[in-house]
Amino acid sequence: MSVLARSVGNAFRNKIRTAAVVAVLAVAIGLALSMLVANQAVGSKVQELNASVGTTLTVNPAGGQGFEGGGEPLTTTEAQTAASVANVTSVVGTKALRLQTATTGTTSTTGTTGTTQQTGQGGGFGPGGQQASVSTNLTAAIDAGTLGNRNNSSGTTGTSGTTGTNGTTTQPARALPITATGIGAEVDSTGKALNITSGTGLGDYTTAGDKALVGTSLATKNNLSVGSTFTIQDKTFTVAGIFDAGTAFGNNAVYVTLPEAQTLAATPDELSTMIVTVNSMENVDSTKTAVQNALGADKADVTQGQRNLETAVSSLDSVKNISLVAFIAALATAGIIILLIMVMLVRERRREIGVLKAIGAPNRTIGLQFVLESLVLVAMGSVVGAVIASFASGGIASALISSNTSTTAATTTQRGGGLAGAVPNGAVPGGGGFGGGGQGGPFGGASQLLTSVTASVSPGVLAAGIAAVFAVAIIGALVPALLTARIRPIEVLRGE
Amino acid sequence: MIEVKDLVRQFKSGDRTIKPVNGVSFELEKGSLSSIVGKSGSGKSTLLSLLGALDKPTSGDVVVDGVSLAGLPDGKLTEYRRRDIGFVFQQFNLIPNLSAVDNVMLPMEFAGIRKAARLKRAKELLEQVQLDPEKHPRRTNRLSGGEQQRVAIARALANEPKLILADEPTGNLDEQTGEHIIELLSSLSRDHNTTILVVTHDRSLAQKTERCFRLQQGRLTEEVRSGSRR
Ligand SMILES: Nc1ncnc2c1ncn2[C@@H]1O[C@H](COP(=O)(O)OP(=O)(O)OP(=O)(O)O)[C@@H](O)[C@H]1O
Ligand SMILES: [Mg+2]
Repeated sequence: MSVLARSVGNAFRNKIRTAAVVAVLAVAIGLALSMLVANQAVGSKVQELNASVGTTLTVNPAGGQGFEGGGEPLTTTEAQTAASVANVTSVVGTKALRLQTATTGTTSTTGTTGTTQQTGQGGGFGPGGQQASVSTNLTAAIDAGTLGNRNNSSGTTGTSGTTGTNGTTTQPARALPITATGIGAEVDSTGKALNITSGTGLGDYTTAGDKALVGTSLATKNNLSVGSTFTIQDKTFTVAGIFDAGTAFGNNAVYVTLPEAQTLAATPDELSTMIVTVNSMENVDSTKTAVQNALGADKADVTQGQRNLETAVSSLDSVKNISLVAFIAALATAGIIILLIMVMLVRERRREIGVLKAIGAPNRTIGLQFVLESLVLVAMGSVVGAVIASFASGGIASALISSNTSTTAATTTQRGGGLAGAVPNGAVPGGGGFGGGGQGGPFGGASQLLTSVTASVSPGVLAAGIAAVFAVAIIGALVPALLTARIRPIEVLRGE
Repeated sequence: MIEVKDLVRQFKSGDRTIKPVNGVSFELEKGSLSSIVGKSGSGKSTLLSLLGALDKPTSGDVVVDGVSLAGLPDGKLTEYRRRDIGFVFQQFNLIPNLSAVDNVMLPMEFAGIRKAARLKRAKELLEQVQLDPEKHPRRTNRLSGGEQQRVAIARALANEPKLILADEPTGNLDEQTGEHIIELLSSLSRDHNTTILVVTHDRSLAQKTERCFRLQQGRLTEEVRSGSRR
């Protein structure tokens, strides 16, 4: 019989107690692991949020977010003004177009006339007046479900006159429009770098050209691949690349160069929005004010994705801290449990330690025997605890996140208006045509990110947590065992 | 050879100090078989545990083959107990949840003897004390007092110690088995040159030892016998 066999045997000497100890340890370890996992999940989500929209400001024409629309469109002059503000690293202009599928569009009389009317009306069209509507041979990748119907009806009530007729007579509950956006750099309509999955970017974004980037789902729906062609308003475009925006709406979109979109909309120089990137998170607030002042309050609205996100990030950060504290507390509990158990076991078997010592067992053998015994207990506790954690951690993580960020999410979606709230990552920049406000993009996305945080167990995290408990177990067994072994055997043997 | 020099062990109980061992000096020749007798509570077990390095004297020293125990650190004392001493406790002190064989194998495990050799020797030793290693319960706390006592004796012999200190080794045994144990101990002293010191109340055992000491009021006196035997 070896030390190991003796230790394992001793671990099961009192089976009921062993079961109880393992159960309690398992709960504590399971909780600790869940918290660690939650902490990591939240941490990476915070990073993701910061990275995605951390330092961008969005500039819309003044009044562009209201139902009434109005205001002067932004132009390249404003872009230059914004670019000259301190701490601004880049200004990317975008020009959003609404593409109506030509097959239905042309059968109705609104096909070309609609376009003429709309472009002619400029700012007067629709809320915000930022999206000109043009025809295309592409079919939208998103079917109009309940959501689409609601959008259309809301579009109908929200806008009146020209589009009212258009919407009700020719497009009863049909596909959503496709968004075409002219971009001044290789970023999407929210300022995030585009993730091009095949092909290349557009190269020079500052000149007009007949190349376009198409979202994955739109490409699939229309059988497009790199090199394929399609038309927007009778002009043939070649697909230069396919991108993945990560969401269904984001992928139902086309990107062309900014000048090209301006040409298509027949509004040279005009911008729907500008995405201003600030050099660091700390400067976002002051730069926002500076840009607003530089452009004039009557000319442009500067909004800060940051403001809401900061709340979201800080509440996530507090969740992160709470989960870290809870992790440490649960781990400490596991440590205290095993510590007390081992102190108790050593006390109970003091006499046995005396016997071992009396017949010549070195202190290290005695220490090793108890360490192994405690490791057996912790190992069983960890295995059961890991099973508990693998079931509980996902639930715990999302419970923590949703309970702490629900208020933020509500504020966020409210700002985005009806549609943006309902649409995940509402990739409809300045979604004026949908009867809502202009800030759907980043906030719809943020709320989705917040609620969909799911915890994933990385082996490193697990190892670190379990190693910590094992370390406590080793100390908890070693210290009392060695303290007892150091006493003269006769004192221990004679007992209390 | 064991030299005991002016050994004192005192205990404080309340405001009283008692000295069950109070200035004990004697020598034991290598390979000798000796016994200590004395009244209950006279301090026989106390003296034995001082010789076995289970306890430290208040003053005085035990010198084993020229090495003073008083000067040895804890690790060396442990080694002394493991290699040189076979101790049979009055209360047996077996590990209750281990089998007889496992108990006997323990000192050999600490001495680093390989498992197969340990097992073989443990079985031989159990047979020597008239226990059948094969047909015994898995836990020694299920054994009878006499059986436990014999396992304790077998364990004391495991590492072929130079000095066997046995505290009432026949106290729980019937006459015949006791005789056998006495015979076993004397053969060890005779054939293996093992020094043996037994504490006993058993007259016949005391009779059979070469020398007999009496512990009384903390002092040790040797009983003078007419014809010595061997
Ligand atoms: N740790 C201690 N503290 C106080 N008194 C002790 C201690 N150990 C032993 N004694 C006392 O020392 C005396 C001698 O005890 P010891 O066990 O050596 O007697 P003994 O001769 O072996 O008796 P017995 O024949 O009954 O086994 C006893 O009176 C006992 O109460
Ligand atoms: Mg005694």
